[in-house]
Amino acid sequence: MKNYVKLFNFEMGRFLKGYLALVGITVAVQVLGVVIASRSYTNKINKYVYHEGMAIDEFLSQFGDMSMYAIIHSLWIQGPILFCISVLLIYTLLIWYRDWFGKNTFIYRLLMLPTERINIFFAKLTTIMVMVLSLVALQIMLLPVLNKVMSSLVPEAYFMNLSFKEMISGFDVLTILFPFSFSDFMIHYGLGLLAVTLLFTAILFERSFRLKGIVYGILYIALSLLIIFSPVIMIAITEKSYLYPLELFYLELILCVLVFIMSILTSRFLLNKKITV
Amino acid sequence: MIEVKNIKKNYGRREVLKGVSFTANKGEITCLIGVNGVGKTTIMNAIMGLTPIKSGEILIEGKPLDKTSYEKITFIPDAITMLPQMKISDAMAFMNDYYQCWNQKRANDMLKFFRLEKESRISELSKGNRAKVNLLLGLALDVDYVLMDEPFSGIDIFSREQIAEVFTSHLIENRGVIITTHEIHDIEHLIDKAVLLDEGVILKEFNAEDVRENEGKSIVDVMREVFHV
Repeated sequence: MKNYVKLFNFEMGRFLKGYLALVGITVAVQVLGVVIASRSYTNKINKYVYHEGMAIDEFLSQFGDMSMYAIIHSLWIQGPILFCISVLLIYTLLIWYRDWFGKNTFIYRLLMLPTERINIFFAKLTTIMVMVLSLVALQIMLLPVLNKVMSSLVPEAYFMNLSFKEMISGFDVLTILFPFSFSDFMIHYGLGLLAVTLLFTAILFERSFRLKGIVYGILYIALSLLIIFSPVIMIAITEKSYLYPLELFYLELILCVLVFIMSILTSRFLLNKKITV
Repeated sequence: MIEVKNIKKNYGRREVLKGVSFTANKGEITCLIGVNGVGKTTIMNAIMGLTPIKSGEILIEGKPLDKTSYEKITFIPDAITMLPQMKISDAMAFMNDYYQCWNQKRANDMLKFFRLEKESRISELSKGNRAKVNLLLGLALDVDYVLMDEPFSGIDIFSREQIAEVFTSHLIENRGVIITTHEIHDIEHLIDKAVLLDEGVILKEFNAEDVRENEGKSIVDVMREVFHV
């Protein structure tokens, strides 16, 4: 356990600069986006209401009021989020491969540490999950701040204050990232954890058997998906369901947990018996 | 004792180790000798559990390798095993963090011996100095066995001399050493046992002292006979 914590801390440190860059880009681009969008809107107010004498109601009916909802669909907000997702997806692969293909052969050192090798797996897995969750937490904290920034730039009569839920409603990616209930949170991030675990196992297949390992990895993921979706596939084939929705949900939950455990055990076996430097 | 028993290893269809067996004792320097590609590094990796073997057995003090073995045996590959952005002090701290057998005093002594600066970054070191850091990180562990893969490979003559000095120092005393090298001239007189390899098989395994005393031959002489060069 102590070595796992140390390895996790070490892995976090290795990507800290990259992670802080992501945080910096996200904050800078989103704040800039809010400022630019608010300025653009207030310029319109100046032009139509103050210079051309348009009534406020007429302006609002023509241009609408200003709220975070208007900008949240723009690239200013979505861009950094999608960029962070892309970087973390790439890093999910890099977190393993850089130990083999970096300038120095750090994988030798990792595999020769006097600790269970599965700790390396857990440390890398936790690093990815913590980075995802902390970026999500940052975004949750940032949206109300952006709302405040916007409210300070747009005159009160033209600004509509929105709750967090109202801000992100109707935007699928955000509703996945920021689920409204604890159970949704567990499902979304549990599936995310499972996906990263399966990908890690596939990477270890590749690192163990090289070219053949790519095939084994793909087959492994396909088998895992088949197990997870087997109840749904059965229902689709037979066109009959003998299960209530809640029973189906629990069955899926059990299958996901089983696939997760299977993936951990397979990874442990590969790390202990098959991995090649 | 490290016992390598009839190990076989394939890379794809190519059989790189065809039943290799030898032992390495504590307090002895065992040298694996052969041209590139005969499987010397593969044997080292196999002993350390860094590559799986097809068949055979490797025992360290009578037991198969497990996580506790890394407190008894260390491997110094031909490339440094630390991150390039690390300073030497970071690398030493890393080792100190994970290995109970890390000997800080010895590490500091070796720093002085190799005239290395603790605050130098690994990426900024010359190849010779990187080899010295690699050696330092391996030899500062209080382990019974040290495996070294081509420690003289591609480094300048002065660094080579300094590294060769290590073999006559207390750093090696009482430890079992397995070394692979082409350049045995620097350490030939220190080798206790030589294992000559070619195409994945052991051609000859002999006690260097016996050959020197009884036959009046050097290891290089025996190599010439065995490899027909």
